[in-house]
Amino acid sequence: MWAEKLRIRKNNVIADLYPLTKLWIAALYALCVLILGTMKIDGYPVYMMAAFLVVPILALLSGIFKKFLNVYKGIFTLCLFILVVQALLIKSEEIVWGFKLFGNFTINVYKGGLQKGLDLSFNIMNIASILAWFFQTTENKELVYALEKKGMSPKASYVFLSTLQMIKVLQHNSRVIMNAQQARGVETEGNLFVRARAFLPSMVPLIMGSIANTEERVLTLESKGFSVKCKKTHIFDVVPSGNERTAMIIAVTITILVVVWRVLAWVL
Amino acid sequence: MGVVIELRNVTYSYPLADKPAIKDVSLKVEEGKFYGVIGKNGSGKTTLCSIIRGFAPSFFKGELEGEVLLYGKPMSEYDQGELALHMGYVFQNPFNQISGVKETVFEEVAFGLENFGVPVEEIEERVMDIMKLTKIDHLAEQHPFELSGGQQQRLALASILVLEPDIMVIDEPTSQLDPEGTESVFEIISQLKKARKTVILVEHKVDLIAEYADEIFVLNDGELIKSGDKHDVLTDVSLLDHGVQLPQMAVLGHRLRKRGLNLDYIPITEKEAKDVIGRLIYREAQ
Ligand SMILES: Nc1ncnc2c1ncn2[C@@H]1O[C@H](COP(=O)(O)OP(=O)(O)O)[C@@H](O)[C@H]1O
Ligand SMILES: [Mg+2]
Repeated sequence: MWAEKLRIRKNNVIADLYPLTKLWIAALYALCVLILGTMKIDGYPVYMMAAFLVVPILALLSGIFKKFLNVYKGIFTLCLFILVVQALLIKSEEIVWGFKLFGNFTINVYKGGLQKGLDLSFNIMNIASILAWFFQTTENKELVYALEKKGMSPKASYVFLSTLQMIKVLQHNSRVIMNAQQARGVETEGNLFVRARAFLPSMVPLIMGSIANTEERVLTLESKGFSVKCKKTHIFDVVPSGNERTAMIIAVTITILVVVWRVLAWVL
Repeated sequence: MGVVIELRNVTYSYPLADKPAIKDVSLKVEEGKFYGVIGKNGSGKTTLCSIIRGFAPSFFKGELEGEVLLYGKPMSEYDQGELALHMGYVFQNPFNQISGVKETVFEEVAFGLENFGVPVEEIEERVMDIMKLTKIDHLAEQHPFELSGGQQQRLALASILVLEPDIMVIDEPTSQLDPEGTESVFEIISQLKKARKTVILVEHKVDLIAEYADEIFVLNDGELIKSGDKHDVLTDVSLLDHGVQLPQMAVLGHRLRKRGLNLDYIPITEKEAKDVIGRLIYREAQ
């Protein structure tokens, strides 16, 4: 009954796919992006740029659009920044666009810089956003246990999951400590310098506490048979939804089409 | 009753320590008995537990002289898995005993059984039973980190008890808890006594030891300075010189005797005190 209860079910066909299938889809997408990136029109990676629309659509179809958009904003800002920096700083022969700021100080956008900038920023955007899609449709423990079933060591799962949980706990503890520091009159708000000065002493008890406790933690794991060499049971189970084959066929077909297209464009 | 654990002239030093933490200790632990371990801070109680559980020297390293036997076989001949099934160990700080990889109390309790590869149906049954026994069944779906200290310590006990060890080593389980939490933990410990488990409990609250233990080990500076039946040990005023507290009732008993009252024995629990005083009044009345 608990095994049933713990099972993670999503009411969306795509999101509900097996974690490793989604990982494959993400990897194939990244491969397609890289291939498309080699096809340029007038030196611009136009096809790869167009591919950036795929992930938001995928997110929409997976029923996570709102959540996705939040992360996407961040990725977008970062990529825009990269694009601007590259376009302005990498010099080449041809100037695409130049304007006078004042006197004879001009800002020039060079063609080479623009090409490199678009290449890099759209690559990052495509790959970061497909990862965002993957992690937003997959819970950490689903991924970890799916990998463990494929032969990953339980120790690796433990490190991964406990680190993620520990980060949450540390965040909570540091907030508690910060509040205590504040109550003692230590300034924890204000500019970066003030905050850093408050932050550092608050980290000391936090880190000392975590180190001092590792011995007990290790021995507790030992007491619960963690290092026993036998096949472990998992009450929490990740199970395929049944649509994995179809999803893989679609993803592989698209990838093959992209490859064929690339080869044809090359040969012809 | 059979001897389950025996220490013969055990001296143990932690690595780099200039003096041993346990000095020439010999003791026997018998099946189904409840042992209290007392002694002031730093007297070696936790170290003794580590030796009994086999963590010292295998985990802590350091140097151990003498013999440690579990069911008559040297401790070093057991592997960690076997030891985990024979002996449960519960630490002082409940927070550190949470695995940190489970999102519900139910799964946390089940963790040990998962490691031993117990089938899912059996896990569910055993976990449900233990959660009822430790009164955390209503918390089954909560996140382990969200529990109160007392609840976390009951969770720590549950996640060891579920492995059904014959011997439980429990090191100051209530030192971080408020009176309410302490009481809830002792309720469980009394269940262990009823179930005739072999229990080795380190506890500062000597009144509780007087209530539950059968025999007592008293440590001072790494030496076993007294051991035996709880009445013999807990009424021995010479222990006061070693920073060991006696139960309130024993102190009261000694004072009454000093005042010339003819108590037939020194009580260590409230119930005994009522008995003794009741009989005294009866005798006086005659
Ligand atoms: N992990 C350790 N490494 C080195 N020395 C230790 C360690 N744990 C305890 N000790 C030392 O061993 C002695 C006994 O400590 P301990 O067994 O923790 O006493 P108690 O539990 O009675 O307070 C103390 O002097 C202590 O400093
Ligand atoms: Mg101790």
